[in-house]
Amino acid sequence: MKIVVCVKQVPDSDAALAINADKTWILESGINFGLNPYDRYALEEALKIKDAGEGEVVAVTLGPDRAAQVLKTCLATGADRAIHLKDDAFQGGDPWANALALAAAIRTVEPDLVLCGFQADDDTLAQTPVLLAGILDMPHATGAMKIERTDAGVRVERELEADRREVVDLPLPSVITVQTGINEPRYASIKGIMAAKRKEMKTPDPADLGIDPSQVGAAGSRLRFFDMAVPPKKEGGEVLTGTADEIALALVKRIRENTGVL
Amino acid sequence: MAGKILTVIETDAGRVRDCSYELVTLARELAQATGGTACAAVLGDDPVAAATQVAGHGVETVYAVKDPGLAAYTADGWAAALKRLMASEGVDIVLFSHTPLGWDAAPRLSAVHSLPALTEIVAVEDGGKVWTRLMFNGKFQVRMTLDGTPAVVTVQKGAFPPCEEQGQGAVKEVAIGLEPGAIRQKYVETTSAPASGKVDLASADIIVAGGRSIGSKEKFGIIKELADALGGQVGASRPVTDAGWLPHEHQVGSSGITVKPKLYIASGISGAIQHIVGMKQSGYIVAINRDKEAPIFEVADVCIIGDQFEIVPALTKAILEARGHG
Repeated sequence: MKIVVCVKQVPDSDAALAINADKTWILESGINFGLNPYDRYALEEALKIKDAGEGEVVAVTLGPDRAAQVLKTCLATGADRAIHLKDDAFQGGDPWANALALAAAIRTVEPDLVLCGFQADDDTLAQTPVLLAGILDMPHATGAMKIERTDAGVRVERELEADRREVVDLPLPSVITVQTGINEPRYASIKGIMAAKRKEMKTPDPADLGIDPSQVGAAGSRLRFFDMAVPPKKEGGEVLTGTADEIALALVKRIRENTGVL
Repeated sequence: MAGKILTVIETDAGRVRDCSYELVTLARELAQATGGTACAAVLGDDPVAAATQVAGHGVETVYAVKDPGLAAYTADGWAAALKRLMASEGVDIVLFSHTPLGWDAAPRLSAVHSLPALTEIVAVEDGGKVWTRLMFNGKFQVRMTLDGTPAVVTVQKGAFPPCEEQGQGAVKEVAIGLEPGAIRQKYVETTSAPASGKVDLASADIIVAGGRSIGSKEKFGIIKELADALGGQVGASRPVTDAGWLPHEHQVGSSGITVKPKLYIASGISGAIQHIVGMKQSGYIVAINRDKEAPIFEVADVCIIGDQFEIVPALTKAILEARGHG
């Protein structure tokens, strides 16, 4: 079983974020980046399938030079090889342009299964994996909380609202996005970190993948962001200050006056 | 632009979901702004009854898209059926709710047109030329445009009010005739997690919710004590239930329970979009967080910037005293 795991490097969840001068994205200087939390669960799910039988896990990312860090994390955690779409032509793309580039890279692997995190923690658009499935003409399922091998393919439990799940069978190859909480992700061992240094990391450019550079990256994008801003706060939101006891007393008063529950 | 704005209706046990009526509000607004028409589609093996429910809500036509292959939701089935409907009816904008159905089907439909989707939007301007959504877990909002049509959009639950009944639209039955093999996913069943019977967040008047910053299962005690003092229930953000500190039935948010208590106290919850969607309709919201930039403060009536391990026990004590004296 050959499994591709698509990963993304995103700002750490506790990074202090600021908006760039064009108001199109965050300022990327001076903050720490790491593996998208959702993708850690996708990687673990791939490694679990590999552990249960024969297989190869290939980690794929699209991002600038610094994104090699998340591929190293995947390799150190147990992925067998990696593909990094780091050519300038790939950068700055919308989800369609990114899915097109990722699809071309994934075709070279000929996987049985493509696993992705449910969404990226930065833009939370939650669409690139499904677009990718469309481009690859593979069936897909989103928000998996359980993935099991069956004779004909995989059985997926999709998370619905209100603690319900939808059970669906898919043939292979398929694209599946994974929710947080599906498993307990492992972390890299020292041995794994050492072994990762000898693992293959390919960096194909558009020509290597047979892609027209005008179709990917910023040039191939039609979704544009602008006017990024801090959202307006709720009108009338009041800030309470003081010692903990002072705040508590003021709060009891507010709760009495405004809710009728005390 | 004067084409059709198509709302994809979701049903639950035959009943049209509230979030679908929110979409109809948006569809009507867009139709008015563009001179187009608001339409809706109900997909299923027997969609007419649900289509008839929607028809009295200010849409011109409700397409009852009927096929045995649409008996249960599948991404392939929904994408194939809607692709055909869009082509035959001249649709400019397709609206889905940002739900497990919407985020599964919308990008697949969008891919048919070689376009990205516009996901989890909260506002629209200029008749669908400019859309607004949140990013970075709600810290920032951004406006966006899509250069291309049709626009396939998912809309955050609760972003628009549900529509009022108005007029009487036509129900038009459409037989799609999906080929065998067109649907590769096979729906098996829908399951519900066994409930303990002790937790009922959906009908609670008071909820005290904690987040990942509590740090451990044991430290969650301060949240439980405050909930007990108030006679309320304990809620949690997703990382808490993912980590196994509390069962999933305590999770508030788009993937958990949507709540509407009279009082919601969020302690150490930063306010990721998926959490806010599940609690922003609460009557009175108190947020306690060390980070003054935390998005939870955007929806709070009372903002307390400080250490939950000091504030929450002090509040528990004050509540108990107030009750003792009251």
